[in-house]
Amino acid sequence: MTRAIFILLRLAVWLAAAPLLPGIINKVKAWVAGRRGPPVLQLYYDLAKLWRKGVVLSTTVSPAHAAGPALAWVALAGAALLLPVGPTLSFRGDALLFVYLLALARFGMALAALDTGSAFEGMGAAREVSYAVLAEAAIITALLTLCVQSGSVTLATMLAPSAGAGAALLAAGLFGVLLAENCRVPFDDPNTHLELTMIHEAMVLDHSGPPLAVILHGASLKLLLFSVLLTEAALPLGELPPLEAAGALAAAVLMVAVAAGLVESLLARLAFRRVPLLLTTAFLLCLFALLAAWKGGVA
Amino acid sequence: MTPGGLLAVAGAGLAVGILCAGKYPRLWLGATLAGALAAFGAAVLALGNVVVWDWKPGFVLGGEAVHLRLDGLSAFFLVLLSFLGGAGALYASEYWSEKEHPASAPGGRGWWNGLILNMGLVLLCANGLHLLIVWELYSICAYFLITRERQLRETRAAGWLYLASSHVALVFLLAFFALLAARTGSWELGPMRERAGLEPLFWFALLGFGLKAGVFPMHVWLPSAHSNAPSHVSAIFSGVTIKMGIYGIMRFSGWLPTPVSAGWVVAGLGVASAVLGVAFALGQHDLKRLLAYHSVENIGIILIGLGFALIAQEHGHAAWGRLALAGALLHVWNHGLFKALLFLGAGSVLHATGTREMSRLGGLWRAMPWTASLFALGATAIAGLPPLNGFVSEWLVYLGLFDAVGGRGTTACAAVFAAVALGVTGALALACFVKVCGVVFLGQARSELGEDVHECGWRMRLPMLAIGTACATIGLAPVLFWPALTVAASAWQPGMGDAVSSAPLVQLGAFHLALAAGVVLGVTLLWAKVRRNGMSRAETWGCGYHAPTPRIQYTAGSFAWIITGWFGWILRPERHSHLPQGTFPAHADFEEHTPETVLEGVVEPTGLAVMRVSTAVRRLQHGRVQSYIFYLLLGLAALAILAVTKGVP
Repeated sequence: MTRAIFILLRLAVWLAAAPLLPGIINKVKAWVAGRRGPPVLQLYYDLAKLWRKGVVLSTTVSPAHAAGPALAWVALAGAALLLPVGPTLSFRGDALLFVYLLALARFGMALAALDTGSAFEGMGAAREVSYAVLAEAAIITALLTLCVQSGSVTLATMLAPSAGAGAALLAAGLFGVLLAENCRVPFDDPNTHLELTMIHEAMVLDHSGPPLAVILHGASLKLLLFSVLLTEAALPLGELPPLEAAGALAAAVLMVAVAAGLVESLLARLAFRRVPLLLTTAFLLCLFALLAAWKGGVA
Repeated sequence: MTPGGLLAVAGAGLAVGILCAGKYPRLWLGATLAGALAAFGAAVLALGNVVVWDWKPGFVLGGEAVHLRLDGLSAFFLVLLSFLGGAGALYASEYWSEKEHPASAPGGRGWWNGLILNMGLVLLCANGLHLLIVWELYSICAYFLITRERQLRETRAAGWLYLASSHVALVFLLAFFALLAARTGSWELGPMRERAGLEPLFWFALLGFGLKAGVFPMHVWLPSAHSNAPSHVSAIFSGVTIKMGIYGIMRFSGWLPTPVSAGWVVAGLGVASAVLGVAFALGQHDLKRLLAYHSVENIGIILIGLGFALIAQEHGHAAWGRLALAGALLHVWNHGLFKALLFLGAGSVLHATGTREMSRLGGLWRAMPWTASLFALGATAIAGLPPLNGFVSEWLVYLGLFDAVGGRGTTACAAVFAAVALGVTGALALACFVKVCGVVFLGQARSELGEDVHECGWRMRLPMLAIGTACATIGLAPVLFWPALTVAASAWQPGMGDAVSSAPLVQLGAFHLALAAGVVLGVTLLWAKVRRNGMSRAETWGCGYHAPTPRIQYTAGSFAWIITGWFGWILRPERHSHLPQGTFPAHADFEEHTPETVLEGVVEPTGLAVMRVSTAVRRLQHGRVQSYIFYLLLGLAALAILAVTKGVP
């Protein structure tokens, strides 16, 4: 019983903390650019406002327009439920369920985008699902690395030790996937103002009010999920006492956010035709991590 | 009732159906449904009781004693056959009705029963000769079902291609069964793993059955056959008929000893089929042809599982092999179900709009909400997404592969490759079905579809609902089906069924249930909130453009553009365009077509070369006796010279 309460509490913490990350990234970007920038809690204000607002629906849309974001959010929350820190809802093979829940979220978002019949949203959805193919290859390879390292297909066991010999490679690869899947620079620019060049932002052009709030919160949750996954994969958090592990996790996730902010400030976004190259690099990094884990295990 | 009694009822029902197919459509439907139900009952009984039903009536047919046998593996396939056979018959009664197709409907009913009956017999026959006969009979029934609309040139071509490929497959199967009979001394089939010297025969079986299963690159007949047949026929084709090939490969890799490299080859073919099947699917603009290519993909996933089961056998039946096999078996059912659902949905679209061209469709959810939702359910399942059945079987295959990676060595390298390929396949399938659902059912119609776009009637909707329910049930309560999987796996090879815990499946099912409940709750709450906050309607944002038309929308081709570009090396898409030119461009167009690379690039040139050589050789035969005598003399002279130079006595 206490375990169930703990798991639900942890989910609540994930959900509540998620909107902090985009705030931190934006703050870092503002500092680097010498601006003051929006407050760290800006996304909370936005969400509260959107939740109260009315909705403008396109005349074209079907019920999928609102159902897609809801489906995506529930899938992401389900994935958050599986991510371990401390006792968790874990079973054999939950790592793959985690990956496919992220895919389910993508499915809901892309369908909601195509629902409007807008060419821009079609473009966004097409890019999202296409680049995800390469990202998926990288994530599966990363999971294989962790599986070789720990001899298990359970997230809790896979993420407890560090990724060993290839930890740095794996972290670099997963960081690339994090940037791509969450539509950050250099793959996509969350602040862009030109519909033609967007990925994620293009998919939500016609959303407003509570569905948009759900989308924005889901996006921040996804960013958090990837940061936590990256951190736990690279660092041996499972071997620390619970409190210290939680502290270390928070610090590391903060560092990931700062790193994403720095990348965003210092790099320009790539031309679309270069995106597959960068994602393939991320995949190769994960593959090298796998080889390192293999060698490390034999020695 | 025993399985034998039920099977007799099933056979009688289907036979009665054939007799009254011409004049009495209602009687046909009743008899066929009763037959399918009886067969379903027999298969479930055989799976549940774990007894092998073995029947030797003692009479002789074609010089061989009749021997029928229903064990776990054949019962597993029979469940799928009888379920989809019944559902398809009900669907056909409205879809291919007497009123709309007066000429071809009666024949369609008869051949349908013939197909179901003969496929059932393929599963039951335990005699090589009889198996060959019913195999040929079902192929012929299938040919007549494909060519229901033989006034269309395209359909006739598809039918011929199917018939030709079937007979190429039959050549390999003839060789396989004849060599087997020659080496064992009898046409009787059964487990004979300990017999040495039978290993090389596996390659004949793989070629023959693989061709009928549509394994890449032997899939050349599949896309055109599936897209030109009536949709309920496409459903049974994709759902069951190509699975007969899988049944053959499974059956004889289980009964006969296999070569050491068999598992590697099967898994390799599986990876190629999976990734390239879905890549070709992305390049298609014809709804049913696209679905047909997804059959190639899913056959690939099944073969990956089976291949690793065979590899595991070399490692002393390692536990990961059992997981991979369970995944492959469950995927046989799952693919049968969701693909039949999708083809029936596509048939409903075709029935309503009269076109399979996706670039003419759009916004169908308004007119056809049932079809749209059921198609979306099938799409979620085929993309392998939780909480539906497609994910469960892929998950089992993944578990097998991940465990194999832990084992290290060459097997582990292969498993890494296969797991990544499976992940890529899943993501590509997701992209493809976002495209299909989005382009066909969402947005706005891309052409004038006319006023009579209508939802399908109950006799078409009911089979889709039944199949959709089956998809959801396997997804939400997978553990219920675990015993059937174990029985089928141990019928494949003794020892493959036991000692794998089903515990993770219980937890997965529980999570799926919670997820489904969460999705329903989430959607309801959000919609309630939207309604309370109030909503207004406006036109879709067009970036400031105020005269949008439905033709501005993204099309199937533009959606898949990025990925078809990556696979351009094998898809070789043909693109023709006239770009807008000048200050006031008058005309611009763009056309894209993905050819059948293997058919047009390999099979047809080879066929043409053979034709050319044959025509050249034919000139020698012209009916002039003088020349024939001259040939004889030439031959004699050549022999004489040979004899003299070699010194033959």
